[in-house]
Amino acid sequence: MIQKLQIGFIFIIMYVSLNHLFYPDLILQLTNYGHWGVVFCQGLLQLFLIWIYIKGLSYFPQQDVIDICLKIGKPIAFILLIPFVISLTVLVTINNRLHTDVIISIFLPRTPSWPVLVLLFFITTYIALTGLGTILRASFFIFFMVIPLLLMITFTSFINIDWYNAAPIRPPSINFLIEKNFFYLMGYSAFLPLGFMVYKTALTFRSIFLAWMCVMFFSLSSVYIPLLIFGQESAISLTFSMVRAIYTVDVDWFFLNKQSMFLGLSLIGFTVILNAVLLWVIGRIMQKLLRWIKVEISYWIIAFSVVAFLGALMVPSLAWTERIFFWSVGAQVFFMIIIPLTIYIYGFIIKRRTAFYEEG
Amino acid sequence: MKRVKALMMLMFLVTFLSGCWDIKDIDKRVLPLVIGISKVNNEDYKVTVQIPITKKDGEISRIVTSIDENVSSALGQIKTNSENAVDYSHVRLVIIQSDLSDNKEELKQLVTFLMTSREFPTNAQLAFTDVPIEELLSNINDKLGVDSTSLYDFFNKGAGWAPEILSTRIWEVYRSMFSYTEDITIPIVDPGKDTVINYKGAVALKLGELTQRIDPNETQLIKLFQNKNAKGKIENVGFASVMVTSSAIENKTLIESNKPVVSINVKLKIHVLEREAGISNERIKKDLEKLIEERFNKMFEKAQENKTDIFGFGQYFRNQIPYDDLKKWREGYYPDLKVDFQVHTSME
Repeated sequence: MIQKLQIGFIFIIMYVSLNHLFYPDLILQLTNYGHWGVVFCQGLLQLFLIWIYIKGLSYFPQQDVIDICLKIGKPIAFILLIPFVISLTVLVTINNRLHTDVIISIFLPRTPSWPVLVLLFFITTYIALTGLGTILRASFFIFFMVIPLLLMITFTSFINIDWYNAAPIRPPSINFLIEKNFFYLMGYSAFLPLGFMVYKTALTFRSIFLAWMCVMFFSLSSVYIPLLIFGQESAISLTFSMVRAIYTVDVDWFFLNKQSMFLGLSLIGFTVILNAVLLWVIGRIMQKLLRWIKVEISYWIIAFSVVAFLGALMVPSLAWTERIFFWSVGAQVFFMIIIPLTIYIYGFIIKRRTAFYEEG
Repeated sequence: MKRVKALMMLMFLVTFLSGCWDIKDIDKRVLPLVIGISKVNNEDYKVTVQIPITKKDGEISRIVTSIDENVSSALGQIKTNSENAVDYSHVRLVIIQSDLSDNKEELKQLVTFLMTSREFPTNAQLAFTDVPIEELLSNINDKLGVDSTSLYDFFNKGAGWAPEILSTRIWEVYRSMFSYTEDITIPIVDPGKDTVINYKGAVALKLGELTQRIDPNETQLIKLFQNKNAKGKIENVGFASVMVTSSAIENKTLIESNKPVVSINVKLKIHVLEREAGISNERIKKDLEKLIEERFNKMFEKAQENKTDIFGFGQYFRNQIPYDDLKKWREGYYPDLKVDFQVHTSME
């Protein structure tokens, strides 16, 4: 039971960590009104993919995505998983870089980005090295430390909101479904790593569904806080509109009147866990795929973490981070669709075949 | 082996988590509270910073000036020339001189800079002034026994704060420069003869352009529409003076043959402070209602003429007008807007 709960927590943490930066900006650019419609469409599409994923994985109890891919065939596993590892590394890179920029803008305006990067690098690598069990347990604590902070940020931002800014509330036509940015939105996904943890505990759709509802709440709040505070017209002109919106909150009576501090703290907590999970997934894939090399998983994790760190260090500016992010998101969307579908179809065929044999 | 690795990792963390990068201790820092921005020779920006000196009972402040091509480099120059670290993250008030605020493009650029700058708090307040900024800032030091934070205290809501004083924040100004349906008013201040500051009312800003001046008396109404309480305001009806103890505002909107109509009901609870002999409560109520209604109608008429939506009526119609038409709110709909404004008062 605890395991299921932990997986739910880690699902929420990974989503929310990504969601507070680009997600609101993308939604605001995608539609001028009725934003909740877009958020729900995107959420439902993801839920559908998650359902396929869980259904597919349920055909193979006690096996994770790597085992299943190896079962299909070694070449398939290589073709599918090695690019996946690369895209995950890019994701870790961007994550490090983005959150470094946000941390600097909130806490340390005069510090160069590399010391912050070094810090993030060491913490995440260390957590990743400790293994899945520790990550899951840590996520438990981080969740209970950070979610109250996030809720507090959400509710204190009510001071500045103007409900009229949400109008018109009627969702627009569904033309946004075919837009490129909507496609990018799909890339905000954190469910793929779950498939690599299932050798410990089975995923159930119900627990993920509950976690998904929490994620929807945070997605909606991350879109609507900047929208209600700034209004559509000015919110689209800002980068990281959510962070900007939190900046405006001035709670004089509170012992810390800078709400953005809390946002910064929660983002650090979340991003560390997210990166640790991604690095652990990378390490596990490499170890299992290249079994003949006989290298411990920790060396793979360190190697890829160093690559991600150097990558983050070399990104010259935020504009570049954005560009790389969009490239990598394209790859993410590809894997989000391909991996669940492959597993589902393969599982389905295997099941049909065994059923056929049992009959015959 | 594993333990050694963990230990090494911890050692790194100890080194990097100690938390001291380029930090100057608090006693080596100065925290400007007020920044004034103006132009010299129509070209360079002049930035004046008022820094309270904490050592001497908080009563003295220093004024530092710098002139450069743009605001950020002028701010940077102050940093360079200061013996202590200058930390702008605690600025609470930005005062802009009217020669700069009259220029639409420059004002827009300035507000955008203040909004997007990393070091600047976006919830600092913004005010305009007609007099040279140094005069305003040095006025604080000239007044005997006045605290160096008084400029900020003036705008800060708290005990004994005059309710008609508007407080407009940088992010609100930024928002209004993009908004299709809402304009904003910014307070104007002068140095007072006997007091530090003299409140001169406000100015309406339409997409970065100044359109009209508003009396100190009238700004109260704007606050009411921003849903802030009008509590504490003292009104003089001629034969009596009353204090508003609480206020509420309700609105109904509809669109009649493509013309927007708003009916507004303001409910005020009043408390009579003094009256001439023989004046009934009813008469005071009626006169006060008439006074406020007239004040509103005068203000609204002027605002409509200037196509400046200072009360933010457009916000009410966001759900009733198609989004693409909202762009035309100021030019197309607002001039036809009919407002039925009614005040209801009750005695305490």
